[in-house]
Amino acid sequence: MTNAAAAVEFSAATQSGPRAVVADLVRGFAMGEVWRAFAWDETLARYRRSFFGLAWIAGSYVIFVAVIAIFFGSFSSADAEDFLMYVALGFAAFVYLNGNIIDGCAVFVNSATWIKSTPMPYSVYVYKSIFRSLTPFGLELLIALIGMLVLGWRPSVAALWAVPAFGAYLVFGVWSQYLLGLVAARFRDVGHLVGAVTRILFFTTPIMWTEADAQPIVRTISDFNPLTHLVEIFRAPLLNATVPVESWIFVGWFTLAGIALTLTVAGVMRARLPFWI
Amino acid sequence: MVSLIAENVSLRFPIYSQAQIYEHAVGDAHDARLISGAGGRIIAVQALKEVSLSLGEGDRLALLGRNGSGKTTLLQVLTGILPPGGGRVRSLGRATSIININLGMQFEASGHRNITLRGLAAGYSRARIEEKRSEIVAFCELGEFLDMPLTTYSSGMLMRLSFSIATAFDPQILLLDEWLSTGDEAFRAKATKRMQEFVNKAGILVLASHNRQLLLDNCNKALWLEKGEVKAFGEVTELLGEYERRAA
Repeated sequence: MTNAAAAVEFSAATQSGPRAVVADLVRGFAMGEVWRAFAWDETLARYRRSFFGLAWIAGSYVIFVAVIAIFFGSFSSADAEDFLMYVALGFAAFVYLNGNIIDGCAVFVNSATWIKSTPMPYSVYVYKSIFRSLTPFGLELLIALIGMLVLGWRPSVAALWAVPAFGAYLVFGVWSQYLLGLVAARFRDVGHLVGAVTRILFFTTPIMWTEADAQPIVRTISDFNPLTHLVEIFRAPLLNATVPVESWIFVGWFTLAGIALTLTVAGVMRARLPFWI
Repeated sequence: MVSLIAENVSLRFPIYSQAQIYEHAVGDAHDARLISGAGGRIIAVQALKEVSLSLGEGDRLALLGRNGSGKTTLLQVLTGILPPGGGRVRSLGRATSIININLGMQFEASGHRNITLRGLAAGYSRARIEEKRSEIVAFCELGEFLDMPLTTYSSGMLMRLSFSIATAFDPQILLLDEWLSTGDEAFRAKATKRMQEFVNKAGILVLASHNRQLLLDNCNKALWLEKGEVKAFGEVTELLGEYERRAA
């Protein structure tokens, strides 16, 4: 330290507003050691004393995909193997996104003891939650890709479009969890409401059915579902090497709107968080 | 330069759910800390009201006050955990606090793992934590229990671990709540010695406790809180004497 360091000011004003939210997100991101360690601890804790451990993730995923492919494959005009790959990728992506929404509602409430005892940026808990959910997502994706290779699928250059799509997933996780975490901490009904909505999302997102086979009304509903487009930008380049431009445009606007909403709402709410949990 | 300044700090805890109030109690005069909204429902508890204090190098402050007087809340505000509704806190220096030994620990994880986690959470690098590990291990005297999950610890053992971690990284500002009294005689003597070493290095100590000896051993100044407001501020022996006469 050279000259006198600046004093840190702490008040309702310094903890509120979009700028405080950005500062929180940046400072929290820099504490990667903390959220990685927390996430790993939670993963271990979840499977501690379980004999099969992480194999449960793989097992339940494989069974679910197989059952859907068998039961819903008969309703689809697609080739059986194509449909299996479609379900395998779509389901992994959906579960990851949906998991972010559900975990988001509890992200701060479940970290109450740390929030009330340690002055860390709140975003640390958001990054922890996202990082933890990457383990099952990565595992499922690995199984899907290995299975697809066995079925004769080969990746193309256009498949690399899945990488920015994954980037969009991470950004989605950050703003949606931060926003839902605050709102659900203050209004406890939100968690229940989100639980009800996500069940509907499972049917209105094309995972078990293809848009080609869907009724016009179903297609219209699913077009307004952000998860449809988030799943599509990831699945399409991997599956048939196309870049779904319309879905990317939708995701772009949705992301911008989400970030703007989060900065505004969190700017108002975040200084009150410790009083709600 | 180390300093810790609170300017007109006020804080209300909002209440969203409330135990049923007896009919006859409605309309009666409430405790001044209970804030009523429209319709007489109690909507908040005024935990702190216009609290100001200013501490500099070598100041060791005792927080005095009865249960519910706002001691812990004030510590939480000074630490940067609870943003005050009014007023502000300005601090200069690395601060560490232990406000509740049951919070901020992973109980499923081992003592060693918690040393790492707490160190990281306080913003220290892994290399720095490893540097300090042997010192923490020696000071807390928990031996092989450091490899056991925290669920196997007694409250005194938890306190030893918390205190050892909190003081190992040479904080410049140390804020401690009540819990220190759970330690046995031997550890309390050791802790007092370490706190004095720490204060000799020109730090700031804020200690909330009901333990007379603990406060006299460690503090030179005192702040007396009553129902969330500053009742008096002064030299510790004097203020403690007056506080005890009033309580008697």
